[in-house]
Amino acid sequence: MKYSLILVALLSAASLVAQTPSSPQTIGNLDKIDSLETKVSGINTKVSTVEEKLASIESDMASMRAPKKIVREGEETLSEGADVRISVTGQGVAPMNTTSPAQAYALAKRAATADAYRLIAEKVKGVRIDGQDLIKNMMVKRSTVRTSVKAMVRNANVVETTFKEGLCEVEMEIVLSHAQFAH
Amino acid sequence: MRSRDGNSSITRAICSLILLNSFASLNANEFLISYRYIVKDATLYNETLRISDSMKKCVGKPQKALILTSFGDKDLKETISNNSQEFIDYMHKLGLNVEHKESTTNYQNRSTTILTLKTTCFKVDFNDNFARIAPLK
Repeated sequence: MKYSLILVALLSAASLVAQTPSSPQTIGNLDKIDSLETKVSGINTKVSTVEEKLASIESDMASMRAPKKIVREGEETLSEGADVRISVTGQGVAPMNTTSPAQAYALAKRAATADAYRLIAEKVKGVRIDGQDLIKNMMVKRSTVRTSVKAMVRNANVVETTFKEGLCEVEMEIVLSHAQFAH
Repeated sequence: MRSRDGNSSITRAICSLILLNSFASLNANEFLISYRYIVKDATLYNETLRISDSMKKCVGKPQKALILTSFGDKDLKETISNNSQEFIDYMHKLGLNVEHKESTTNYQNRSTTILTLKTTCFKVDFNDNFARIAPLK
């Protein structure tokens, strides 16, 4: 009995000895794992923030690369599937040396048509403007403004023609569609 | 020397007729037309319509056609002069080049507008009562 008690005590002491050096090691390992996990989570959050920043930079770059649409207030734009109708009124007068009112009307109409064409070209394509002022002895001697338009106009329609007191007015319109310009 | 073909003269005549016809059909119905008018200070200054036979075959397919009443005449100039307004409206539809210059010096304005139809080849088919005219593109 005595020996058995001693044996039990020895065994328990041996087991205690065997457990005591290992326990601080496992605690240390657990601490290390915990610290590593926190580090990894920190790195993960940093990576995610970097990725977010990269995505925002890429989106900014894409928006910078894309052609900017300048839309002014009250200006019609030619969007896909929609048509733009441009309407103008050209004016013309008959020459002085006409032989009959009919000839005067015909010639005035021709002049008004040309004016309407010019107005359409100005609206669709734009106008070149050049100005020059000549100043001598602090006085404006000559002031010149030159404008020019060059365009090709097709499928313009005359809507209405009026002739009153020698002045002919031609109302003309043109319908522009997106398909005409998208190639 | 007598040929084996006893009807050589008839054959030659037929061949020459075919050749003549083919040459005639090549160019007879194709015309070059150009149109230009100048408006100065809102008044018509000059108008020119030039029509000439095509000296060589034009390339392209007939586009939008116009039918003009011809009363049997085969002369395009006459047909067009009889239907001048219709033809000018038609040319406007085909498309005109617009060139406008305006100058304002010391508040005095001068302007010149030139509308031009560049020289275009037209195919013309004459019939008994009408002529069908279409640009080749």
